[in-house]
Amino acid sequence: MANRSGAAQRPNGTQGKICQFKLVLLGESAVGKSSLVLRFVKGQFHEYQESTIGAAFLTQTVCLDDTTVKFEIWDTAGQERYHSLAPMYYRGAQAAIVVYDITNQDTFGRAKTWVKELQRQASPTIVIALAGNKQDLANKRMVEFEEAQTYADENGLLFMETSAKTALNVNDIFLAIAKKLPKYDQNQGQSGQGQGRRLAEGDQGAKTPGNCCK
Amino acid sequence: MLSVHQDVLQIIQAKFSSFEIVKSVHLNVSILGEYWSEQHHILAVVAYHSNSALFLFSSKKPKPFHLSDLIIEAVIPIDENFECLSDPIPGEHNYLLFVVRYRKVSFEFRIKIGPESSNFASEIVKSKERFLSEESDKRWLLKYTDLYNSLENTELKSQLDDIPFIRQKMAQNQNSINRDSMLKYQLKLKEPEFTQYQEFTLFIGTWNVNGQLPSISLKPWLSSDDDPPDLYAVGFQEIDLSKEAFLFNDTPREAEWEKMVLDGVHPKAKYRTVALTRLVGIQLIVLINTKHYQYIRNIAVDTVGTGLLGKMGNKGGVAIRLELHNTSLCFVNSHLAAHVEEFERRNQDYKDINARINFRKYPTAIKDHDQVYWLGDLNYRITELTTSQVKTLLIRNEMAALLRADQLNQQKERGNVLLDYNEADITFPPTYKYDLNSDTFDTSEKARPPAWTDRILFRGKGIYQLAYRSHMELRISDHKPVSAIFKSEISVINQAKYRKVHEELLKRMDKLENEFLPQVTVDQTEVKFDLVKFREPQFRDIIIANTGQVPAEFEFIKKLDEQSYCKDWLRITPYCGTVNPGEKCDVRLEVNLESDLTELDDILVLHLNGGKDMFIIVSGKGQKSSFTTSMSALCRAPMPIMNLSEIQWKKIVALEGEVLYSIPRELWLLVDHLYKYGLAVRDLFESNSTQESFVKIRDWLDFGSTEPLPGSVETIAETLLIFLSYTKEPVIPFHLHDVAIAASSNYQSCKNIINQKLPDIHRNVFLYICMFLQELLRHSNENGYDAKTLASLFGEILLRDPIRNSKPQASRENLVSFIIF
Repeated sequence: MANRSGAAQRPNGTQGKICQFKLVLLGESAVGKSSLVLRFVKGQFHEYQESTIGAAFLTQTVCLDDTTVKFEIWDTAGQERYHSLAPMYYRGAQAAIVVYDITNQDTFGRAKTWVKELQRQASPTIVIALAGNKQDLANKRMVEFEEAQTYADENGLLFMETSAKTALNVNDIFLAIAKKLPKYDQNQGQSGQGQGRRLAEGDQGAKTPGNCCK
Repeated sequence: MLSVHQDVLQIIQAKFSSFEIVKSVHLNVSILGEYWSEQHHILAVVAYHSNSALFLFSSKKPKPFHLSDLIIEAVIPIDENFECLSDPIPGEHNYLLFVVRYRKVSFEFRIKIGPESSNFASEIVKSKERFLSEESDKRWLLKYTDLYNSLENTELKSQLDDIPFIRQKMAQNQNSINRDSMLKYQLKLKEPEFTQYQEFTLFIGTWNVNGQLPSISLKPWLSSDDDPPDLYAVGFQEIDLSKEAFLFNDTPREAEWEKMVLDGVHPKAKYRTVALTRLVGIQLIVLINTKHYQYIRNIAVDTVGTGLLGKMGNKGGVAIRLELHNTSLCFVNSHLAAHVEEFERRNQDYKDINARINFRKYPTAIKDHDQVYWLGDLNYRITELTTSQVKTLLIRNEMAALLRADQLNQQKERGNVLLDYNEADITFPPTYKYDLNSDTFDTSEKARPPAWTDRILFRGKGIYQLAYRSHMELRISDHKPVSAIFKSEISVINQAKYRKVHEELLKRMDKLENEFLPQVTVDQTEVKFDLVKFREPQFRDIIIANTGQVPAEFEFIKKLDEQSYCKDWLRITPYCGTVNPGEKCDVRLEVNLESDLTELDDILVLHLNGGKDMFIIVSGKGQKSSFTTSMSALCRAPMPIMNLSEIQWKKIVALEGEVLYSIPRELWLLVDHLYKYGLAVRDLFESNSTQESFVKIRDWLDFGSTEPLPGSVETIAETLLIFLSYTKEPVIPFHLHDVAIAASSNYQSCKNIINQKLPDIHRNVFLYICMFLQELLRHSNENGYDAKTLASLFGEILLRDPIRNSKPQASRENLVSFIIF
């Protein structure tokens, strides 16, 4: 007779905070932004991923030790002709992944421009990660790991080389971002448009990934 | 059907196809259980041929005014798995509980009893009967649920079979609370996978201390066992019988007894107070072994007085609730009405306490807890036996006979009190009434028969009682303390397993959420227009097809820092709308060029509410026209502008080269034609010429021709108005607009502006037009125009607002009429 309403009781001591963040992917076209998202969200990889014309939207949750982080992911079109629309997506974003293709030096240059634009135009507290994608094609590498690492260090970016094809570092880069984002309890707040409501809570730093709770 | 809700029925009907008939609706339904947001809810029975389903809507308003106020929250097929029943709600005579079950899922709705509810219930019964006689076909529901066919993953499918509904809000990401509720609900279902039972020892004690001071150690009562319990719940009654305590509910004894309890607990463990609550003399303390303290949550207390006037605190109950690990516990200490004959009053006190204790957070009532321990001076006596008979039976140890005469046992058996509570066998002597400081039953004149007034009962699963006894050594009161030891199974969460289940659920929900995001495709993301010509609209249709599983609300949205969702030469109809799954929507993009743009470019952002954005590039080339070229440039063109070479064109646009004409050639051609053929034409400027005839005149002017000017005089008159309306600068240039308006009431100032401030060509045009108008007025008998009409017609063309359509029109009329005369 107890609990006849059938409603659940809150499991004791297990409900961590739930935080929701808007994350945007930027980078030259064909560097693998959509593939990274597809790998992260659905665990899939398509050799011939269609070009994104617009801004695709997906959500994915990751669990940290004490928090659940829900990402609202905006995967933007990389083609230059849509450049002027990018601010619609990175404005109000709490996190960005700037992607380049390690086999193409130009895309690295373009990534740096994106980083600069974000540093100028986006929220000053935005967490930026640099992803050198297509690591599976390392034998055709045109961008040295050290070069990108140095650049990332100088600019305070998270950095990983990733492969949407082999899944290398894909979950890890999202997880590293989740860890670096300042957490606050959004249970009461509105979800929505990732309007940069945040506390000036010290972030946990970009620890090496791996202690994921899965 | 109640006529008052006919309007709502129609609104709801609009959500359905014409074969899906809304049979009955019920407004103002509230849903029991914690995990539904407090929205307005409406139930509807919808029939499709012989099949029916119950739809649960949430509404932004108590009574919806429009389709968009309603969101489908749940769809429950009325078929062989559908069960419904109604229950009274204790204490609420006007409402009843309407319970709907579908397989393992149940909903509980609180609805008001009345014609609406009986009408609704009978419609459900009819639907169910109709179903039983026909064959089941749930396919029509798929578009509302989309659960059975959309998911290939069979594991997921079996999960979803438990839930015959979908919350679109969750899918559309509008409300994270819903997702949260769903998660909690699912976690509850999966609880056995990540919890295990662990036995905790609970010590429950009760003592009516008869207002005596706490002067003796409680160790013989609280620490009489070898091993320390994990938790203590210790209740006292009558800790203070003073008037002050009764009137102000304040007594120093509270802290004194708490200290005595803390001093008296088992020495082999450390304890800490979880909660203490008191009503006058009824006090309850819960202590926990400190090592378990961190696993206690959601502590709440409440008290209920049932004494004088049914409210006062001389009698009543106090309660403490908490969660230990994953099990909810409730402890109630009650002191019920006294006197042998008042057993019904005691029953009533129990019922009142049970009904009125409200912890103000979920679960709010005593009965909603996994385990309840009810202790106290329940005051039930031994009836039908005299004092001496009782004493004799006690000496003979004939407990069974005595217990049969116990009122609590009798009342409980009849279902009047503490129904479905358990009590261990009583093996100890009655705990009341003793002479103070003795083990002797009452020797006063009254010589009350001994009774087991002090009792401990329990309710819930996994509770095993190890001891039930009284403690004779404590003699300061006329009652003896009683205690009970329980081994109780507490559900403990295995964090590692919990995480695994939690994360799996989150993944599943992410998957669901992503699958239920609105999805559409657009048949073209680049729309190219042919050469776009002045005032010759073109359109292209794009098709938005909903390829997702939920209705897609689309809207063309503004880009950052832009005024509108598209450029002013473009029109999108409709610019927003809803497309149902599997359906399509045509959107028309129409360009109409009214400026000198040569490159038409725009990127449209097609946004899906709660989902992605798509970009659509619109492009085209604009063809130049004399209509949108400045008059100063036209006066430099030696030939129709389409015949100019690119170099010549650039030169005249840059206003280089000689001025060849005092007014644009095109203007002269139009006006001259009207001089010749139009002066005497009635209502000359009121033509409704066709697009086609305008285009002919435009091309005749822009390309030149040896043919005579095509079209009727009315069309040519209209073309003149258009020509003057679109010239790149109006005849009174924009920069003089305000000056001209300010001067409009003064003829001389107007004249000065015209003569001194207007550029030559503009002045020429102005005067030329005025002369033409004067000529028209000379023929006003034939053409029917008077000065005022013409002034207002030409005023707003010659003196155009920088922003179209704003209007100090009278002033313009003035200005022009001054000139005309």
